[in-house]
Amino acid sequence: MLLEVRDLHVHYQKVAALKGISLQVPSGGIVTIIGANGAGKSTTLRAISGLVRPSKGEIHFDGQRIDNLPPEQIVGRGIAHVPEGRRVFPDLSVEENLRIGAFLRADKDGIESDLEDVFRRFPRLKERRTQRARTLSGGEQQMVAIGRALMSGPKLLLLDEPSMGLSPVVVQEIARIVADIADTGVPVILVEGNRHRRLGGQGRRPAHQ
Amino acid sequence: MSDFLLQTAFNASYAASYMALIAVGLVLIFGVMGVINFAHGELYMAGAYAVVFFYAGLGLPFIVAVAIGLVFVGCLGMLMELALFRPLRTNPLGGLIASIGFLLMLQTVAVLGFGLRNQNVPPVSQGRITVGGAFLTYERLYVILATVGLLLALWLFLRKSKFGWALRACAQDREAASLQGISINQTARYAMFIGAGLAGVAGALTAPLVAPTPYMGHTVIVTAFIIIIVGGIGSLEGAVLAAIIYAFVHTFVTTFFDGVIANIVGLLLMLAVLVVKPQGLFGVRERA
Repeated sequence: MLLEVRDLHVHYQKVAALKGISLQVPSGGIVTIIGANGAGKSTTLRAISGLVRPSKGEIHFDGQRIDNLPPEQIVGRGIAHVPEGRRVFPDLSVEENLRIGAFLRADKDGIESDLEDVFRRFPRLKERRTQRARTLSGGEQQMVAIGRALMSGPKLLLLDEPSMGLSPVVVQEIARIVADIADTGVPVILVEGNRHRRLGGQGRRPAHQ
Repeated sequence: MSDFLLQTAFNASYAASYMALIAVGLVLIFGVMGVINFAHGELYMAGAYAVVFFYAGLGLPFIVAVAIGLVFVGCLGMLMELALFRPLRTNPLGGLIASIGFLLMLQTVAVLGFGLRNQNVPPVSQGRITVGGAFLTYERLYVILATVGLLLALWLFLRKSKFGWALRACAQDREAASLQGISINQTARYAMFIGAGLAGVAGALTAPLVAPTPYMGHTVIVTAFIIIIVGGIGSLEGAVLAAIIYAFVHTFVTTFFDGVIANIVGLLLMLAVLVVKPQGLFGVRERA
Protein backbone atom coordinates (compact mmCIF):
# COMPACT_ATOMS: atom_id res chain seq x y z
CA MET A 1 0.00 0.00 0.00
CA LEU A 2 1.22 3.47 -0.86
CA LEU A 3 -0.72 5.15 1.94
CA GLU A 4 -2.14 3.62 5.08
CA VAL A 5 -4.25 5.52 7.57
CA ARG A 6 -4.96 3.67 10.81
CA ASP A 7 -7.55 4.61 13.40
CA LEU A 8 -7.16 8.35 12.76
CA HIS A 9 -8.65 10.75 15.31
CA VAL A 10 -8.62 14.54 14.91
CA HIS A 11 -9.91 17.07 17.41
CA TYR A 12 -10.45 20.77 16.84
CA GLN A 13 -9.98 22.05 20.37
CA LYS A 14 -12.31 19.62 22.14
CA VAL A 15 -14.65 18.84 19.27
CA ALA A 16 -13.93 15.53 17.56
CA ALA A 17 -13.85 15.88 13.77
CA LEU A 18 -12.65 12.34 13.08
CA LYS A 19 -13.19 9.36 15.33
CA GLY A 20 -11.14 6.48 14.05
CA ILE A 21 -11.02 6.43 10.26
CA SER A 22 -8.81 3.89 8.49
CA LEU A 23 -8.09 3.73 4.80
CA GLN A 24 -5.64 2.19 2.40
CA VAL A 25 -4.58 3.61 -0.93
CA PRO A 26 -2.84 1.39 -3.47
CA SER A 27 -0.15 2.78 -5.74
CA GLY A 28 -2.50 3.31 -8.64
CA GLY A 29 -6.00 4.48 -9.51
CA ILE A 30 -8.49 6.77 -7.84
CA VAL A 31 -9.85 6.37 -4.33
CA THR A 32 -12.98 8.40 -3.75
CA ILE A 33 -14.22 9.48 -0.33
CA ILE A 34 -17.86 10.46 -0.36
CA GLY A 35 -19.82 11.87 2.53
CA ALA A 36 -22.09 14.61 3.79
CA ASN A 37 -20.89 18.02 4.92
CA GLY A 38 -19.12 17.75 8.24
CA ALA A 39 -18.44 14.03 7.88
CA GLY A 40 -14.72 14.69 8.12
CA LYS A 41 -13.64 14.24 4.50
CA SER A 42 -11.58 17.41 4.32
CA THR A 43 -10.19 16.78 7.78
CA THR A 44 -8.93 13.39 6.62
CA LEU A 45 -7.01 15.02 3.75
CA ARG A 46 -5.78 17.83 6.01
CA ALA A 47 -4.41 15.28 8.46
CA ILE A 48 -2.65 13.38 5.67
CA SER A 49 -0.94 16.53 4.36
CA GLY A 50 -0.05 17.72 7.84
CA LEU A 51 -2.28 20.78 8.08
CA VAL A 52 -3.89 19.35 11.21
CA ARG A 53 -2.19 17.16 13.77
CA PRO A 54 -4.02 13.91 14.58
CA SER A 55 -4.83 13.35 18.24
CA LYS A 56 -4.59 9.60 17.78
CA GLY A 57 -3.79 7.13 15.02
CA GLU A 58 -1.04 6.70 12.46
CA ILE A 59 -0.42 7.67 8.85
CA HIS A 60 2.16 5.76 6.86
CA PHE A 61 3.27 6.83 3.41
CA ASP A 62 5.67 4.91 1.25
CA GLY A 63 6.62 2.77 4.26
CA GLN A 64 7.34 5.72 6.55
CA ARG A 65 5.33 7.31 9.31
CA ILE A 66 4.40 10.89 8.41
CA ASP A 67 1.77 11.97 10.92
CA ASN A 68 4.31 13.90 13.00
CA LEU A 69 5.76 15.91 10.09
CA PRO A 70 4.90 19.53 9.22
CA PRO A 71 3.14 20.09 5.87
CA GLU A 72 6.21 21.50 4.10
CA GLN A 73 8.04 18.21 4.71
CA ILE A 74 5.12 16.03 3.70
CA VAL A 75 5.04 17.70 0.26
CA GLY A 76 8.70 16.83 0.01
CA ARG A 77 7.85 13.18 0.60
CA GLY A 78 5.55 13.24 -2.41
CA ILE A 79 2.02 14.08 -1.27
CA ALA A 80 0.44 17.03 -3.08
CA HIS A 81 -2.77 18.44 -1.64
CA VAL A 82 -5.22 20.49 -3.70
CA PRO A 83 -7.18 22.07 -0.87
CA GLU A 84 -10.87 22.79 -0.69
CA GLY A 85 -11.72 26.08 -2.34
CA ARG A 86 -8.65 25.81 -4.66
CA ARG A 87 -6.58 28.32 -2.65
CA VAL A 88 -4.54 29.62 -5.56
CA PHE A 89 -2.32 32.63 -4.79
CA PRO A 90 -4.56 35.40 -6.14
CA ASP A 91 -1.87 38.00 -6.79
CA LEU A 92 0.68 35.69 -8.35
CA SER A 93 0.50 35.06 -12.07
CA VAL A 94 -0.65 31.70 -13.39
CA GLU A 95 2.91 30.73 -14.19
CA GLU A 96 4.20 31.86 -10.78
CA ASN A 97 1.45 29.83 -9.12
CA LEU A 98 2.55 26.77 -11.06
CA ARG A 99 6.25 27.30 -10.47
CA ILE A 100 5.78 27.75 -6.75
CA GLY A 101 4.38 24.23 -6.71
CA ALA A 102 7.92 23.12 -7.50
CA PHE A 103 9.32 25.14 -4.59
CA LEU A 104 11.24 22.23 -3.07
CA ARG A 105 12.65 20.93 -6.34
CA ALA A 106 16.12 21.75 -7.59
CA ASP A 107 16.04 19.89 -10.93
CA LYS A 108 15.64 22.79 -13.35
CA ASP A 109 15.13 20.66 -16.44
CA GLY A 110 12.54 18.51 -14.71
CA ILE A 111 10.63 21.60 -13.60
CA GLU A 112 10.59 23.03 -17.13
CA SER A 113 9.39 19.77 -18.65
CA ASP A 114 6.71 19.39 -15.97
CA LEU A 115 5.58 22.94 -16.65
CA GLU A 116 5.21 22.07 -20.33
CA ASP A 117 3.34 18.96 -19.26
CA VAL A 118 0.89 21.02 -17.19
CA PHE A 119 0.40 23.43 -20.09
CA ARG A 120 -0.29 20.43 -22.33
CA ARG A 121 -2.95 19.19 -19.93
CA PHE A 122 -4.41 22.68 -19.47
CA PRO A 123 -3.88 24.63 -22.70
CA ARG A 124 -6.02 27.45 -21.33
CA LEU A 125 -3.47 28.07 -18.58
CA LYS A 126 -0.76 28.56 -21.16
CA GLU A 127 -2.82 31.27 -22.83
CA ARG A 128 -3.25 32.97 -19.48
CA ARG A 129 0.18 32.34 -18.02
CA THR A 130 0.93 35.99 -17.25
CA GLN A 131 -2.51 36.78 -15.83
CA ARG A 132 -3.04 37.11 -12.10
CA ALA A 133 -4.80 34.07 -10.72
CA ARG A 134 -7.57 36.20 -9.21
CA THR A 135 -8.76 37.15 -12.68
CA LEU A 136 -9.44 33.54 -13.68
CA SER A 137 -12.77 31.73 -13.64
CA GLY A 138 -13.45 29.11 -10.98
CA GLY A 139 -12.71 26.26 -13.35
CA GLU A 140 -9.45 27.83 -14.48
CA GLN A 141 -8.44 28.40 -10.86
CA GLN A 142 -9.11 24.73 -10.19
CA MET A 143 -6.83 23.89 -13.11
CA VAL A 144 -4.13 26.13 -11.61
CA ALA A 145 -4.53 24.40 -8.25
CA ILE A 146 -4.24 20.95 -9.81
CA GLY A 147 -1.36 22.03 -12.03
CA ARG A 148 0.44 23.57 -9.05
CA ALA A 149 0.11 20.26 -7.19
CA LEU A 150 1.46 18.34 -10.19
CA MET A 151 4.48 20.65 -10.30
CA SER A 152 5.74 19.16 -7.06
CA GLY A 153 6.18 15.85 -8.87
CA PRO A 154 3.86 14.00 -6.50
CA LYS A 155 3.56 10.28 -5.81
CA LEU A 156 0.05 10.84 -4.49
CA LEU A 157 -2.46 13.58 -5.25
CA LEU A 158 -5.14 14.67 -2.77
CA LEU A 159 -8.10 16.46 -4.35
CA ASP A 160 -10.64 18.13 -2.09
CA GLU A 161 -13.99 18.76 -3.83
CA PRO A 162 -12.54 19.90 -7.14
CA SER A 163 -16.00 20.22 -8.68
CA MET A 164 -17.32 22.59 -6.03
CA GLY A 165 -19.06 25.57 -7.59
CA LEU A 166 -18.24 24.66 -11.16
CA SER A 167 -20.58 24.24 -14.12
CA PRO A 168 -21.33 20.69 -15.35
CA VAL A 169 -19.24 21.19 -18.47
CA VAL A 170 -16.20 22.23 -16.45
CA VAL A 171 -16.81 19.41 -13.97
CA GLN A 172 -16.63 16.95 -16.86
CA GLU A 173 -13.42 18.50 -18.10
CA ILE A 174 -11.85 18.27 -14.64
CA ALA A 175 -13.07 14.67 -14.32
CA ARG A 176 -11.36 13.77 -17.58
CA ILE A 177 -8.12 15.38 -16.40
CA VAL A 178 -8.22 13.63 -13.02
CA ALA A 179 -8.77 10.26 -14.72
CA ASP A 180 -5.89 11.11 -17.03
CA ILE A 181 -3.59 11.92 -14.10
CA ALA A 182 -4.43 8.60 -12.47
CA ASP A 183 -3.77 6.84 -15.78
CA THR A 184 -0.33 8.38 -16.05
CA GLY A 185 0.63 6.73 -12.78
CA VAL A 186 -0.17 9.24 -10.03
CA PRO A 187 -2.75 7.78 -7.68
CA VAL A 188 -5.48 10.16 -6.53
CA ILE A 189 -7.56 10.45 -3.38
CA LEU A 190 -10.67 12.33 -4.34
CA VAL A 191 -13.08 13.84 -1.85
CA GLU A 192 -16.58 14.64 -3.12
CA GLY A 193 -19.69 15.74 -1.30
CA ASN A 194 -22.19 15.81 -4.12
CA ARG A 195 -23.11 12.27 -5.12
CA HIS A 196 -24.70 13.33 -8.41
CA ARG A 197 -21.92 15.44 -9.78
CA ARG A 198 -18.88 13.70 -8.41
CA LEU A 199 -15.75 13.01 -10.35
CA GLY A 200 -14.13 9.68 -10.97
CA GLY A 201 -17.26 7.61 -10.52
CA GLN A 202 -15.46 4.53 -11.72
CA GLY A 203 -12.86 4.62 -8.95
CA ARG A 204 -12.48 2.53 -5.83
CA ARG A 205 -14.43 3.49 -2.73
CA PRO A 206 -13.34 2.39 0.71
CA ALA A 207 -15.99 1.96 3.38
CA HIS A 208 -16.35 5.20 5.28
CA GLN A 209 -17.56 5.11 8.86
CA MET B 1 7.44 81.36 -5.68
CA SER B 2 8.52 78.47 -7.90
CA ASP B 3 11.72 78.19 -5.84
CA PHE B 4 9.58 77.94 -2.77
CA LEU B 5 7.44 75.21 -4.33
CA LEU B 6 10.52 73.30 -5.43
CA GLN B 7 12.01 73.60 -1.96
CA THR B 8 8.84 72.20 -0.44
CA ALA B 9 8.84 69.38 -2.98
CA PHE B 10 12.43 68.52 -2.00
CA ASN B 11 11.41 68.42 1.66
CA ALA B 12 8.40 66.27 0.85
CA SER B 13 10.52 63.83 -1.17
CA TYR B 14 12.77 63.38 1.81
CA ALA B 15 9.85 62.78 4.17
CA ALA B 16 8.21 60.41 1.67
CA SER B 17 11.41 58.39 1.44
CA TYR B 18 11.96 57.48 5.03
CA MET B 19 8.25 57.06 5.68
CA ALA B 20 8.06 54.65 2.73
CA LEU B 21 10.87 52.56 4.22
CA ILE B 22 9.04 52.37 7.54
CA ALA B 23 5.61 51.69 6.06
CA VAL B 24 6.83 49.03 3.62
CA GLY B 25 8.44 47.12 6.48
CA LEU B 26 5.26 47.35 8.50
CA VAL B 27 3.19 46.08 5.58
CA LEU B 28 5.59 43.22 4.90
CA ILE B 29 5.43 42.05 8.52
CA PHE B 30 1.66 42.32 8.58
CA GLY B 31 1.31 40.57 5.23
CA VAL B 32 3.47 37.58 5.98
CA MET B 33 2.69 37.09 9.66
CA GLY B 34 -0.64 38.82 10.20
CA VAL B 35 0.91 40.74 13.08
CA ILE B 36 0.41 44.45 13.61
CA ASN B 37 3.84 45.40 14.86
CA PHE B 38 3.36 48.27 17.26
CA ALA B 39 7.07 48.19 18.08
CA HIS B 40 7.91 49.26 14.52
CA GLY B 41 8.52 52.88 15.56
CA GLU B 42 10.94 51.65 18.22
CA LEU B 43 12.80 49.59 15.63
CA TYR B 44 13.21 52.85 13.73
CA MET B 45 14.48 54.41 16.97
CA ALA B 46 16.90 51.52 17.50
CA GLY B 47 18.35 52.13 14.02
CA ALA B 48 18.89 55.79 14.88
CA TYR B 49 20.67 54.83 18.10
CA ALA B 50 22.94 52.48 16.18
CA VAL B 51 24.18 55.59 14.38
CA VAL B 52 24.35 57.52 17.66
CA PHE B 53 26.55 54.79 19.12
CA PHE B 54 28.71 53.70 16.20
CA TYR B 55 28.99 56.94 14.22
CA ALA B 56 28.64 59.74 16.75
CA GLY B 57 30.12 57.73 19.62
CA LEU B 58 32.78 55.43 18.22
CA GLY B 59 33.51 57.48 15.13
CA LEU B 60 32.99 54.75 12.56
CA PRO B 61 32.16 55.91 9.03
CA PHE B 62 28.48 56.84 8.63
CA ILE B 63 27.82 54.23 5.97
CA VAL B 64 29.22 51.50 8.23
CA ALA B 65 27.03 52.67 11.11
CA VAL B 66 23.98 52.58 8.83
CA ALA B 67 24.84 49.04 7.72
CA ILE B 68 25.23 48.00 11.35
CA GLY B 69 21.87 49.62 12.07
CA LEU B 70 20.23 47.57 9.30
CA VAL B 71 21.69 44.26 10.43
CA PHE B 72 21.27 44.95 14.14
CA VAL B 73 17.63 45.97 13.87
CA GLY B 74 16.97 43.16 11.39
CA CYS B 75 18.29 40.71 13.97
CA LEU B 76 16.12 42.35 16.63
CA GLY B 77 13.21 41.63 14.29
CA MET B 78 14.18 37.97 13.96
CA LEU B 79 14.41 37.77 17.73
CA MET B 80 10.88 39.20 18.02
CA GLU B 81 9.64 36.60 15.56
CA LEU B 82 11.27 33.76 17.43
CA ALA B 83 10.46 34.80 20.98
CA LEU B 84 7.13 36.60 20.60
CA PHE B 85 5.29 36.14 17.33
CA ARG B 86 5.94 32.44 16.74
CA PRO B 87 4.63 31.15 20.09
CA LEU B 88 1.62 33.47 19.76
CA ARG B 89 0.84 32.72 16.13
CA THR B 90 -2.51 31.11 16.83
CA ASN B 91 -3.60 34.00 19.04
CA PRO B 92 -5.07 36.75 16.84
CA LEU B 93 -4.16 39.58 19.24
CA GLY B 94 -1.11 37.98 20.84
CA GLY B 95 1.51 39.40 18.48
CA LEU B 96 0.08 42.91 18.70
CA ILE B 97 0.04 42.93 22.52
CA ALA B 98 3.51 41.36 22.74
CA SER B 99 4.83 44.01 20.34
CA ILE B 100 3.48 46.75 22.64
CA GLY B 101 5.38 45.17 25.51
CA PHE B 102 8.52 44.96 23.40
CA LEU B 103 8.13 48.63 22.42
CA LEU B 104 8.23 49.62 26.09
CA MET B 105 11.29 47.46 26.67
CA LEU B 106 13.17 49.01 23.74
CA GLN B 107 12.33 52.52 24.95
CA THR B 108 13.50 51.68 28.45
CA VAL B 109 16.75 50.20 27.20
CA ALA B 110 17.37 53.36 25.16
CA VAL B 111 16.66 55.58 28.18
CA LEU B 112 18.93 53.50 30.43
CA GLY B 113 21.73 53.38 27.89
CA PHE B 114 21.65 56.89 26.47
CA GLY B 115 19.46 59.02 28.74
CA LEU B 116 16.36 61.01 27.92
CA ARG B 117 17.99 63.91 26.13
CA ASN B 118 18.09 64.44 22.40
CA GLN B 119 21.23 63.02 20.87
CA ASN B 120 23.46 65.20 18.78
CA VAL B 121 24.70 63.42 15.70
CA PRO B 122 27.40 65.38 13.86
CA PRO B 123 26.53 66.21 10.25
CA VAL B 124 27.62 63.69 7.65
CA SER B 125 28.09 66.26 4.96
CA GLN B 126 27.66 70.01 4.61
CA GLY B 127 27.15 69.75 0.89
CA ARG B 128 24.02 70.66 -0.97
CA ILE B 129 22.59 70.77 -4.45
CA THR B 130 21.21 74.13 -5.44
CA VAL B 131 18.50 74.47 -8.07
CA GLY B 132 17.61 78.10 -8.57
CA GLY B 133 16.75 79.33 -5.11
CA ALA B 134 15.93 75.88 -3.75
CA PHE B 135 18.43 73.47 -2.29
CA LEU B 136 18.66 69.84 -1.26
CA THR B 137 21.29 68.89 1.30
CA TYR B 138 23.39 65.83 0.60
CA GLU B 139 22.18 64.32 3.86
CA ARG B 140 18.61 64.37 2.63
CA LEU B 141 19.65 63.31 -0.84
CA TYR B 142 21.33 60.22 0.66
CA VAL B 143 18.06 59.26 2.35
CA ILE B 144 16.17 59.59 -0.93
CA LEU B 145 18.77 57.66 -2.95
CA ALA B 146 19.11 54.91 -0.33
CA THR B 147 15.34 54.52 -0.20
CA VAL B 148 15.02 54.22 -3.97
CA GLY B 149 17.87 51.70 -4.01
CA LEU B 150 16.54 49.60 -1.14
CA LEU B 151 12.96 49.52 -2.40
CA LEU B 152 14.18 48.56 -5.87
CA ALA B 153 16.27 45.77 -4.36
CA LEU B 154 13.29 44.61 -2.32
CA TRP B 155 11.07 44.65 -5.40
CA LEU B 156 13.58 42.57 -7.36
CA PHE B 157 13.96 40.15 -4.45
CA LEU B 158 10.20 39.68 -4.20
CA ARG B 159 9.74 39.21 -7.96
CA LYS B 160 12.81 37.29 -9.00
CA SER B 161 14.06 35.16 -6.13
CA LYS B 162 12.60 31.95 -4.86
CA PHE B 163 12.35 33.23 -1.31
CA GLY B 164 10.72 36.38 -2.59
CA TRP B 165 8.01 34.22 -4.14
CA ALA B 166 7.71 32.35 -0.86
CA LEU B 167 7.16 35.64 0.98
CA ARG B 168 4.48 36.74 -1.46
CA ALA B 169 2.79 33.35 -1.37
CA CYS B 170 2.78 33.35 2.43
CA ALA B 171 1.31 36.85 2.46
CA GLN B 172 -1.54 35.69 0.23
CA ASP B 173 -2.35 32.32 1.79
CA ARG B 174 -0.17 30.90 4.54
CA GLU B 175 -1.76 27.47 4.60
CA ALA B 176 -1.63 27.01 0.83
CA ALA B 177 2.00 28.17 0.94
CA SER B 178 2.90 25.47 3.45
CA LEU B 179 1.29 22.92 1.11
CA GLN B 180 3.84 23.94 -1.55
CA GLY B 181 6.71 23.10 0.78
CA ILE B 182 7.30 26.64 2.04
CA SER B 183 8.31 26.78 5.69
CA ILE B 184 6.19 29.38 7.47
CA ASN B 185 8.76 29.77 10.24
CA GLN B 186 11.60 30.44 7.85
CA THR B 187 9.54 32.84 5.75
CA ALA B 188 8.40 34.73 8.85
CA ARG B 189 12.02 35.04 9.92
CA TYR B 190 13.03 36.54 6.57
CA ALA B 191 10.06 38.90 6.59
CA MET B 192 10.92 40.12 10.08
CA PHE B 193 14.56 40.66 9.17
CA ILE B 194 13.65 42.67 6.11
CA GLY B 195 10.76 44.58 7.68
CA ALA B 196 12.64 45.47 10.85
CA GLY B 197 15.85 46.12 8.90
CA LEU B 198 14.09 48.68 6.70
CA ALA B 199 12.78 50.50 9.78
CA GLY B 200 16.30 50.39 11.22
CA VAL B 201 17.80 51.85 8.05
CA ALA B 202 15.22 54.63 8.06
CA GLY B 203 16.19 55.50 11.62
CA ALA B 204 19.90 55.24 10.91
CA LEU B 205 19.77 57.39 7.78
CA THR B 206 17.72 60.13 9.39
CA ALA B 207 19.60 60.15 12.72
CA PRO B 208 21.84 63.11 11.78
CA LEU B 209 18.73 65.09 10.81
CA VAL B 210 16.33 64.47 13.68
CA ALA B 211 18.31 64.46 16.98
CA PRO B 212 17.18 61.02 18.20
CA THR B 213 15.33 60.52 21.48
CA PRO B 214 14.09 57.26 23.04
CA TYR B 215 10.51 58.29 22.19
CA MET B 216 11.00 59.24 18.54
CA GLY B 217 9.12 56.10 17.46
CA HIS B 218 5.77 57.47 18.59
CA THR B 219 5.53 60.11 15.92
CA VAL B 220 6.39 57.84 13.03
CA ILE B 221 4.22 54.88 14.02
CA VAL B 222 0.99 56.88 13.82
CA THR B 223 1.96 58.23 10.42
CA ALA B 224 2.99 54.75 9.29
CA PHE B 225 -0.42 53.35 10.23
CA ILE B 226 -2.17 56.15 8.35
CA ILE B 227 -0.02 55.36 5.32
CA ILE B 228 -0.68 51.63 5.28
CA ILE B 229 -4.41 52.18 5.75
CA VAL B 230 -4.47 54.67 2.87
CA GLY B 231 -2.34 52.39 0.71
CA GLY B 232 -4.36 49.30 1.43
CA ILE B 233 -3.23 47.00 4.20
CA GLY B 234 -1.04 44.30 2.74
CA SER B 235 -0.02 46.17 -0.40
CA LEU B 236 3.66 47.14 -0.72
CA GLU B 237 3.04 49.28 -3.79
CA GLY B 238 0.15 50.93 -1.97
CA ALA B 239 2.39 51.72 0.99
CA VAL B 240 4.96 53.43 -1.24
CA LEU B 241 2.35 55.44 -3.12
CA ALA B 242 0.54 56.40 0.09
CA ALA B 243 3.83 57.46 1.71
CA ILE B 244 4.46 59.78 -1.23
CA ILE B 245 0.93 61.20 -1.19
CA TYR B 246 0.91 61.65 2.58
CA ALA B 247 4.35 63.22 2.73
CA PHE B 248 3.55 65.71 -0.02
CA VAL B 249 0.19 66.68 1.46
CA HIS B 250 1.65 66.93 4.95
CA THR B 251 4.71 68.91 3.93
CA PHE B 252 2.81 71.34 1.74
CA VAL B 253 0.12 71.95 4.36
CA THR B 254 2.79 72.40 7.02
CA THR B 255 4.61 74.90 4.84
CA PHE B 256 1.57 76.92 3.82
CA PHE B 257 -0.44 76.65 7.05
CA ASP B 258 1.11 74.84 10.01
CA GLY B 259 1.99 71.43 11.39
CA VAL B 260 -1.13 70.94 13.49
CA ILE B 261 -3.39 71.55 10.53
CA ALA B 262 -1.18 69.19 8.50
CA ASN B 263 -1.76 66.42 11.02
CA ILE B 264 -5.51 67.01 10.87
CA VAL B 265 -5.42 66.99 7.07
CA GLY B 266 -3.45 63.73 7.16
CA LEU B 267 -6.10 62.07 9.31
CA LEU B 268 -8.88 63.49 7.12
CA LEU B 269 -7.09 62.00 4.12
CA MET B 270 -7.22 58.61 5.80
CA LEU B 271 -10.90 59.04 6.66
CA ALA B 272 -11.69 60.07 3.10
CA VAL B 273 -9.98 56.99 1.72
CA LEU B 274 -11.77 54.77 4.21
CA VAL B 275 -15.13 56.25 3.19
CA VAL B 276 -14.58 56.12 -0.56
CA LYS B 277 -12.40 53.01 -0.84
CA PRO B 278 -12.41 51.11 2.45
CA GLN B 279 -9.88 48.57 1.25
CA GLY B 280 -7.33 51.35 0.59
CA LEU B 281 -5.89 52.57 -2.70
CA PHE B 282 -4.25 49.27 -3.64
CA GLY B 283 -6.04 46.96 -1.26
CA VAL B 284 -8.27 44.11 -2.31
CA ARG B 285 -11.57 43.43 -0.65
CA GLU B 286 -11.40 40.49 1.71
CA ARG B 287 -12.91 37.33 0.34
CA ALA B 288 -16.01 36.27 2.17
